[in-house]
Amino acid sequence: MLAIGLSGCTAEFLEITPETSLSSVTFFKTEADFQQAVNACYVPLRTIYNDRSYLLSEMHSDNTYYYRNTAFGATEQQEDLADFSIPVSNGLTTNTHVLNQYRQDYLIIARANQILDRIDKADFDAAAKGNLKGQAQFMRAFAYFEIYRYFNKGPLQLTAVANREQAAAKVGTAADLEKIIIGDLTGAAATLKTKSTQEPGRATSAAAKTLLANMYLIQKNWPAVEKLCKEIIAEGQHSLMPDYNDAFTTSTGNKNNAESIFQVQYQEGANGFQGSFMYNFMPRPMAASELVTLSKTSNPQPQTGEGNNAPMPELIASYEPGDLRKDASIGYITCASTLWEGKTYPYIKKFVRPHSLNGNHGMNWPIFRYSEVLLFLAEALNEQGKTAEAAPFMNQVRKRAGLAETTATTQAAFRTALMKERRMELAFENKRWHDLTRTDTFKEVITAKGNRIKADPFAHYYQRGFTLRSNSFTVIEKYYPMPADEAALNPNIK
Amino acid sequence: MKNISTIHRIGIRSMGIFLGLFLILSSTLMAQQQAATGKVKGTDGEPVIGASVSVVGTSRGASTDGEGNFKISVSRNETLRISSVGFNTTDVVYTGQKSVDVILTVDNKTLNEIIVVGYGSQSKKEITGAVQTISYKELKDLPVTQIGQKLQGQLAGVQINQTTGRPGQGMNIRIRGQLSVSAGSDPLYVVDGFPITGSIGAMNPDEIEDISVLKDASSTSLYGSRAANGVVLITTKKGKGSGMSVSFNTFTGMQQVPMKGRLKMMNAEEFAQFKKESFEDAKQPVPAEFQNPSQYKDKDNDWYGALLRTSPITSHNLTITSNTPKSRTSLVAGVLDQKGVVRNTDYQRYSLRLNSTYDISDKVTVGFNLAPQLVYDNTPRTDGDRGTGILFNALHTWPIMPIYEADGKTLTKFNRFPASTGNIFAYANWVRSADQLINETTATNLLSNAFVEYEPIKGLKVRSSMNGEILRTKFFFFNPSDATSRINVPIPTTAESIRENVENLSWLNENTVTYGKTLWDDHKFEILGGYTNQYFRQESTRIQADTYADDRLPTIQGAINISRGGTNSGVQEWSLTSYLARLNYNYKGKYLLNAAIRSDGSSRFGSDNRWGTFPSVGAGWVVSDEPFMRDLPMVSFMKLRGSWGIIGNNNLGNYTSYALINNTVNGVFGNTVATGAAVSSLANPNLGWETTQQLDLGVDINMFDDRINFAYDYYKKNTTNLLYAVQVAQESGFGNFNDNIGEIKFWGHEFSVNTKNTTGKLKWTTNANISFNRNVVVALAPGIDRVYGTFHITQVGKPFGQFYGLISEGMYKNAEDLANSPKVPGRSTVGSIKLRDINGNGRIDYGGNNDDRTIMGNPFPDFVYGITNNITYGDWDFNIIGSGSQGNQLLVRHIYSTANLDGVFNMVEGAKYRFRSEANPGMGMYGTTVGGGNVTGIERDWMNSRFVADASYFTIRNITLGYTFSKPTKVYKSLRVYTSCQQAYVFTKYWGGPNPETSAQSNGQGDGGNLSPGVDLSNYPVPRTFTVGANFNF
Repeated sequence: MLAIGLSGCTAEFLEITPETSLSSVTFFKTEADFQQAVNACYVPLRTIYNDRSYLLSEMHSDNTYYYRNTAFGATEQQEDLADFSIPVSNGLTTNTHVLNQYRQDYLIIARANQILDRIDKADFDAAAKGNLKGQAQFMRAFAYFEIYRYFNKGPLQLTAVANREQAAAKVGTAADLEKIIIGDLTGAAATLKTKSTQEPGRATSAAAKTLLANMYLIQKNWPAVEKLCKEIIAEGQHSLMPDYNDAFTTSTGNKNNAESIFQVQYQEGANGFQGSFMYNFMPRPMAASELVTLSKTSNPQPQTGEGNNAPMPELIASYEPGDLRKDASIGYITCASTLWEGKTYPYIKKFVRPHSLNGNHGMNWPIFRYSEVLLFLAEALNEQGKTAEAAPFMNQVRKRAGLAETTATTQAAFRTALMKERRMELAFENKRWHDLTRTDTFKEVITAKGNRIKADPFAHYYQRGFTLRSNSFTVIEKYYPMPADEAALNPNIK
Repeated sequence: MKNISTIHRIGIRSMGIFLGLFLILSSTLMAQQQAATGKVKGTDGEPVIGASVSVVGTSRGASTDGEGNFKISVSRNETLRISSVGFNTTDVVYTGQKSVDVILTVDNKTLNEIIVVGYGSQSKKEITGAVQTISYKELKDLPVTQIGQKLQGQLAGVQINQTTGRPGQGMNIRIRGQLSVSAGSDPLYVVDGFPITGSIGAMNPDEIEDISVLKDASSTSLYGSRAANGVVLITTKKGKGSGMSVSFNTFTGMQQVPMKGRLKMMNAEEFAQFKKESFEDAKQPVPAEFQNPSQYKDKDNDWYGALLRTSPITSHNLTITSNTPKSRTSLVAGVLDQKGVVRNTDYQRYSLRLNSTYDISDKVTVGFNLAPQLVYDNTPRTDGDRGTGILFNALHTWPIMPIYEADGKTLTKFNRFPASTGNIFAYANWVRSADQLINETTATNLLSNAFVEYEPIKGLKVRSSMNGEILRTKFFFFNPSDATSRINVPIPTTAESIRENVENLSWLNENTVTYGKTLWDDHKFEILGGYTNQYFRQESTRIQADTYADDRLPTIQGAINISRGGTNSGVQEWSLTSYLARLNYNYKGKYLLNAAIRSDGSSRFGSDNRWGTFPSVGAGWVVSDEPFMRDLPMVSFMKLRGSWGIIGNNNLGNYTSYALINNTVNGVFGNTVATGAAVSSLANPNLGWETTQQLDLGVDINMFDDRINFAYDYYKKNTTNLLYAVQVAQESGFGNFNDNIGEIKFWGHEFSVNTKNTTGKLKWTTNANISFNRNVVVALAPGIDRVYGTFHITQVGKPFGQFYGLISEGMYKNAEDLANSPKVPGRSTVGSIKLRDINGNGRIDYGGNNDDRTIMGNPFPDFVYGITNNITYGDWDFNIIGSGSQGNQLLVRHIYSTANLDGVFNMVEGAKYRFRSEANPGMGMYGTTVGGGNVTGIERDWMNSRFVADASYFTIRNITLGYTFSKPTKVYKSLRVYTSCQQAYVFTKYWGGPNPETSAQSNGQGDGGNLSPGVDLSNYPVPRTFTVGANFNF
């Protein structure tokens, strides 16, 4: 009898929900819930830009290489990217950086899908909703744009995944991805706040338009690029920083400045939002006493292993005389203990800023700057045969760099000049590989890079007597193979 | 919050049931009938307690009290039948004697031995399942500190490995080879009827009266959703006999790690020679440090050896039992003080257990057990790979790096050679680190039971119990600035502290009714019904802080930084409601039948799948009771048994069925920190227990008047609905989906034989057992035929958790060999490792599903076995126990560092015989050092068959020689002194380290996880211990 009396509350006795975390049943109700969910969409960017993007798009181009340290092993994953020798089997690769880039992008997409599935049904202020939805759309488009540029195809995840069956989606073509990106960004551009009203660091309508312009640029839809760029300029909320060096943030300040259209947000300190990319870009081994001259931290630590993103000598040599960007972009440091007999290495200076603690800095990473909008516009105009109209926009960028106006007047000459201007203006900002692929020049440029390094390894930071691995520069392809680990989980990926 | 109050309400009502019964029953002092009285004694004159006295042909019955007295209503010329387990049943005709005094003769057959089973006890003869019992008597001579150590080698079908020598740690117990992809595989431990939630490792073995191991489904199914891994029932000492007895057991010993078995690393001179050669082979200038290796001849630094020491162990146990006619009390107080063989390891245990039972009336018995305990443990992060473990790090630290400064006394702070020597990592002084790191856990534990039992009419027992377990663990870790357990942390480092307080509370209320009756003389029935509720709650707080101004003040406020990521609080809860029932029936004790069922509702199961039902049946036939067996007089007993049932495993985690929101996915916008939240797991409202169906067929045969007892069991299990975090495409935003999916089949054979080889003054008994456990994966998730561990594969159609890697075929001997063999494009060179092209595509691939990896070894043994010999000769006694495992392999996982050809670490001695040139190809195990990571990385990172090692072993667990002074003196009644040796000798060919039983603890990289068994990461070695001890009886 007692047992029967008890069974009434047995069901409740057995209903134990987690006390220390919320469940999706109770979440996604209020504006604050959606605000938090939107914030989480941005988080993977920190990892992507700190650890990955530079390997896949800058070192995987003719701009940079690695600082070969023959005393150190386990560096194949990075070297394979710079040396165009990533393992490919059945159209798939085991390269971990490719895998992680892919996973982080889809993490953004999944988080955005959770929001976009539910936000229309939630009941709160329409303007606030538009701004949140726009951010989710922007982030989803951003991630798909990365997938599009790296792989030229990708699974089509457009709704929140709720069970195992939905986890592996059909793989969409480049055209499918373009449709998603354009759709999301068109929506986002309409509902996102502008730079002056948006909280600094979040996606703005200008950011959505710039990304959309970039998409159209790849499609060679020049009138659309022109229209969007002109809208951004007309909006008048962005301008070039007078000094090129100030386009880049310090560890604690100058963030989301007038030139910034979209930046990855970092913060130095113990909150866990710090970057450490500056350290990834240092030659090694490097003594603490050498490092401290750049980092100015209170606790410099010696750096071991192998450094990445070493500026190629050919890039350094191609700055025009008087280009103020050269000194802002490239510095030199002597590492006494390195095995490379040259000892004094160039390094990427535009991302070196003093900070407090070793391995923990707060510089934001520029994804889009206003100067790129100007260059997009110049390119779009020139490609439509409006070279004269294009020149002033490129010249704005040149002028800030301390250079004279361009002398190119023909469409072809202007095109060459513009691509070079992009290379110098946006050096180390993970643009180069994508410029080489969208202009289909990657094969010749990379083959030439390989030949130059093979001809003179020492000039490319190899210790004397050492040379490249025999499989270097054997896999020069426009798109990365899909990651093997994900193909194993999604049979649609081939 | 409604939820919590419900739990409290159930808790209070459960307590109410218990107290209600308690109050009602204790006041029910039933009027006594006029009755005959009597006393039952054994032939030794000692009273027989609890003997059953019945009037034949009636339902009247009674049982004897603590002094053997009974009282029963009986008429003249009626027959009294007196029976008790272990004695022959005796009939006496009542003729009106004033006192019916009966002397029972001992039944020499062991079959009537009473065995503790789930929710009761049963005579061994009537058991239909596979149950093995070990009594305190059989275990008391083993001076070891953990129960698991006592059981090693004693139980058929139970594999017990000591995976680490850390005091109080590392006993890995698997019953009938049970395992799971992701649920726990530890058996359920039930102490005095209470399924405990903590570990059994810290329990004082001296508190134990006996241990029953339940292996088959008919004996475990009363534990329902927690029974699939087997059940270990521990019964603690209760008072019995009469009067007072006091005994004191003490031992002290020394522990050390034998030289034999330690991993042979290069000494300083050999290492310098290796480095010199590798620079020469690479045609590079030899750094000054290595130009003259002989300069290190007498300057070797054995970092591993320097961490070890000979260390003492001491244990004292006082046991007092006190019994009156109406009460029985036993007290066990114990102290254990064990220093570990690695410096600065310390283990102390203070334990007390007080068990009391009171007969408050003829029909009501109440009992209380209280067992408080305090365990202190400090181990300076010894185990783990080079990210965490100092033993691993010491192994591969350069032996030319000095442990001591030039003065020979002061420990160096930290060692690093110039980069030109190829020294990439900073090496702390591990000896200093071991001495300075604080990594201590203080656990206070209170286990308590209270019960009331009421027998309103003979054979009907109503019992209610309330059990509680409180465990508080206080963990403190401090890494001062001079120490670290990690490699490549320069000294001084950032001092760091972690404080973690965890409080567990678990309570259980059980209410059972049993009724036993024999009908029509030969039909014996016993039925059981029960209703139980159990609840568990854990609260934890963790604070991690770093950057200390002063190492002497590792307070929280002394830190400059509180780590956000490492500071958190947590709650874990579960609840379980169960209904259970059992029927035991036998006819003439010859045809046995048993059926049981339990229904479990658990908060861990998904909302659409909350209740599971677990039935079982068992049957037995005592063949030797059949007339036709009289022709085979040498067979003194023979029983055929069979059972079948369904049992579950609910070790799923508490909230696995929910889609959880992680609200720490935080970000920053400009300078504003913003909370972020993301869905971090997929919900599965149908998530449930793992289901195991088990069939057991067994036979027990005793021969030659029970001089030889033989038992055999065959079992077959099918585990389905495996809890499985099905890996899903991460494009979903999730890594996996928790589901019940897949199937593993297990089967095995268990043999045990106990023989009395000699009787008389020289008594020699031998117990031996051997078990063969097998498994095969029948199915995983749809569309998935394999799941990987670190260097393991669990694949459909193959046994679980097999080592998976490339097959080594030595080295490329010369340019021709290289040209004609499959190779790694751009990486393979002459002298580098040659691997088998399994997929036949002409080159060597590593990674993905269709590469060249294949199954290269098996961590599970062909068989495990144990043998125990006991010899007594007069007052002398001698015991030797051995146990072993045959055919299992270990993955020498630390080799990725200890044989890293880049010369970054110290190397195993065998690397001296590596490939150096065509003319000097070495022993085919280690390749060329030339070519750097591009070449050597294949050998280092692509796990291959060279590093799968045979780990078969036979270990002499214990040798004890004792002498008993049996003549009472003024000081004692009897005294036994003994000397013994544990872990006396390990017979093995295993070369990867000192412990062939090792297995990595789960380290976050997957090693040691369910899918990655049999990994050697150089754990704490298990020492050899020499002890002397004494047992006093007062």
